Amino acid sequence: MLYNLIKQKILVVLDFLIVCLFSCLLSFVLHIILSFDLRVLFEEPRFFAFFTKNIWKSAKECVIIIWYSFCAFFIRELIFIFERKQIADGVFFSRITDRRFKANRISVSLFTDFDALPRADCALAAYALSECCALYPDYSKLSAALLDLYDASISTSTYSRWDKRCTEIVGSALDDRYALSGEKLERELALLMCECLFRPKAENGAFDEKVTEMMRAELIDSIDSVINDKSRYAAYRAAKSAFVGEPDELAASGTHEDAEKVTAQSAYAAYREILETARVEIFAAGCSDFADTEEIFAREFSAINRRCSITELGSKPSALKKEPAYVEDEFDMKQAILRMYFKAPELADHEANIFLARILGGMTTSRFFTNIREKQSLCYYCSSLIDRSKRTLTCYAGIEPKNKKRAEQAILKELRDICENGVTEEEILQAKLELKNQYKAIYDSASALAVWYFIQLPYGKFLTPEEFAETLEPVTSERIQNAARMYTLDTVYTLSGKNSEE
Amino acid sequence: MIEKIYDKLTGETCLKYVHPSGTEIFMLPMENYSSATAQFTAKFGSQDNSFRTVDGEFVKIPDGTAHYLEHKLFESEEKDAFSLFAQTGASCNAGTSFDYTQYYFSCADKFAQNLEILLDFVANPYFTEENVEKERGIIAQEITMYRDNPSWRVFTNLLEALYEKNPVRLDIAGTVESIAQITPKTLYDCYNTFYNPSNMFLCVAGNFDPEDVCRVCEEKLRAGRAFSVETAPFDEPYAVAKKLVRISMPVAKPLFEIGFKRNVVQGMGEIEDYIYFNILFDMIFGESSEFYEKMRENGLLNDEWSVSVFSGRGHLFPTARGESEKPELILEEMQKLIRECKKNPPSKELFERVKKATYGSLVRDFNNVSSVASTLSESALSGVSPFAAINTAASADYNTLLDKLQGLDEENASVSIVDNK
Repeated sequence: MLYNLIKQKILVVLDFLIVCLFSCLLSFVLHIILSFDLRVLFEEPRFFAFFTKNIWKSAKECVIIIWYSFCAFFIRELIFIFERKQIADGVFFSRITDRRFKANRISVSLFTDFDALPRADCALAAYALSECCALYPDYSKLSAALLDLYDASISTSTYSRWDKRCTEIVGSALDDRYALSGEKLERELALLMCECLFRPKAENGAFDEKVTEMMRAELIDSIDSVINDKSRYAAYRAAKSAFVGEPDELAASGTHEDAEKVTAQSAYAAYREILETARVEIFAAGCSDFADTEEIFAREFSAINRRCSITELGSKPSALKKEPAYVEDEFDMKQAILRMYFKAPELADHEANIFLARILGGMTTSRFFTNIREKQSLCYYCSSLIDRSKRTLTCYAGIEPKNKKRAEQAILKELRDICENGVTEEEILQAKLELKNQYKAIYDSASALAVWYFIQLPYGKFLTPEEFAETLEPVTSERIQNAARMYTLDTVYTLSGKNSEE
Repeated sequence: MIEKIYDKLTGETCLKYVHPSGTEIFMLPMENYSSATAQFTAKFGSQDNSFRTVDGEFVKIPDGTAHYLEHKLFESEEKDAFSLFAQTGASCNAGTSFDYTQYYFSCADKFAQNLEILLDFVANPYFTEENVEKERGIIAQEITMYRDNPSWRVFTNLLEALYEKNPVRLDIAGTVESIAQITPKTLYDCYNTFYNPSNMFLCVAGNFDPEDVCRVCEEKLRAGRAFSVETAPFDEPYAVAKKLVRISMPVAKPLFEIGFKRNVVQGMGEIEDYIYFNILFDMIFGESSEFYEKMRENGLLNDEWSVSVFSGRGHLFPTARGESEKPELILEEMQKLIRECKKNPPSKELFERVKKATYGSLVRDFNNVSSVASTLSESALSGVSPFAAINTAASADYNTLLDKLQGLDEENASVSIVDNK
């Protein structure tokens, strides 16, 4: 691994030196041509003086050229690396190394067919993996081990992504350079994650009963607590109408009733199935070269009898209803939340789609912000976002219950306006500038970089943030207008307050 | 004159410069980073609700004024600040807390131009009857949104329970009724008093040239009239105002937050208290503690449990929050354990472990641009070095921790509960 890294870097340096050599030669030749005087050919001393002077001038310029090239070319190349490879059957390892960071993050995402396994079983299995393991048989011992790694963290979750179930374990730890006693923190983190993932506290084909009981209670609490956050609750309820018959129709963790039925055996069976059949994507991001992490996970996954069946990641566009569905729920709250789902199953112009969501409700000069919030004072927030793989555009706002209809009409009007008149050059420029800034800033966070490459998994091509920003350059008002025209209203959901409080 | 503050633990160097206007400027250039963040802060928060204006008159302002002013400062007679930032691609925002209001942007290009916009718009208020009125509906919606949020309610109710006079007990955004009283004059009175350059500071982190910062500050910062901010004193009693505050909202399981009230010290004392109580509470109540393990096993707590220290100008208290059917019992158990620990202190080995973890988490704060800028701002507010917290954690000693433990009054505590309806 390290050998490959050094080889890769030596090639980069050689490339650079060749470019420099050609630059020097070119500079010298240009100097000769520009200041050539025929008389020098007939006077030997002048000829040598002419030659020496130009060599000296060229050398000085080349030093400056090399220095600037070094700054521009080397800094990013030497400190930033993205590399991806297969390390076991259906297991892929992506490494993002950037020397500036002070911490490392490792994520292991296990993709399985969404409804191949009961939802609540998968959720409980995920909970159990970060609760304890055979080596650290209770939570306090596992937490103590994490504290020993300078407050490292390990968490697990399960959610739907690209119509698949993604069961994920994420760990992060300080880089070895900052360990006060020379500890190998990245290696220790990877080992600890493997203890959790490969050797949970279980025997005879079942998780520990006591752990299962506790996790079941916490899973139920977590499912029920969706009502604590009104925005989350509105999104959860709206999904039931917006994504009928699709994995996102219901919560990834299942229902309260499903959770009650989970047993130590059923959860363990789900865990083994996930471990043996999932398509696995490991992302290691931070300042380390992650040679140890790669070696540890390759060894662990190779020791498992794997039968991965998922060769590709990606999902179908969400199905568009024949007529829009209007759904209203009442809840004990003061503010109302409006969520509108538009769908465009045929939309292929992702770049134009990005601009559409930005201009509509994704920036502080957006149509929603300017016209609905600032001019009409209809809400505190009104935003829009897109789901690339589902081909949906979601618009949402927090409003006064009496303004429901007005807000809905205002959102429709803004989208209609883009369909009819397109957008202005100024709007495109503002969105472009903001996007470019945000894409560049991705380089400043290890987790943002990991997420950036992770979300490109279904598309088979990994672009750097800058390369992707380049693809946005040709987007025009016409393309944005066409993208807007492809959207049809699918679902309007309102969570309304009953206006009661304590 | 630029002062260099080097920190051996993180290897970082912070540059400090005091502009002739009195504005303190803290800069931490981060080599090879792509973006930069600038935070311009006025030491004016929701708790500064009674003060002497520049005209010498003492005024009491409606609750939520600092937050209202923050909203309105983005507007100008011509182009608002959002439109100006849109021309550079920077993302900008602002936030109001109990003891400060902060305006900030982050960008990957045109840093100097963005800094000019930031300093310009904060320096040029434009409040009219019409634009102040327009904002009322928007802020009322924001207030309503927070009123519907049980996590926020459990926290603000705890402040109300702990403090009787300290204005930190009042909600940052105020109420729909209180903001109805805010006029352009209210906002100008506050602006002229608290947005004096000597009552403000600027913190910058990331990819930028410090010379650009100094140049833009020279151009944009203007010295105000020599003026020292005077807020109304309040005599906060030692004891908590209420032992219990309980409301009902639709939640799955009762939410609660417990606070242990303390007398507050400023400057390094505040940082020391902050670090030591974080370590102490992590040791005895944190995720790896026997206490948490026992409570979870008994079904009294779930994985929503967390402990921390909440601090700001004039307030600092260790706090614990979670979900439980029996929050009052959790408080009793915590009090019992503190009493036991005073007799049989937790081990030095445990202290070393948690100290190391606290240090690790503070080093990680220097991992990204916005958290570095926030660290600079927090230390500027406390009047200490940006590396004070990390060095206090790295050099924390067991005996001082035991002194802090002995000084903790476990009886002087409140619990705030949001019951399920």
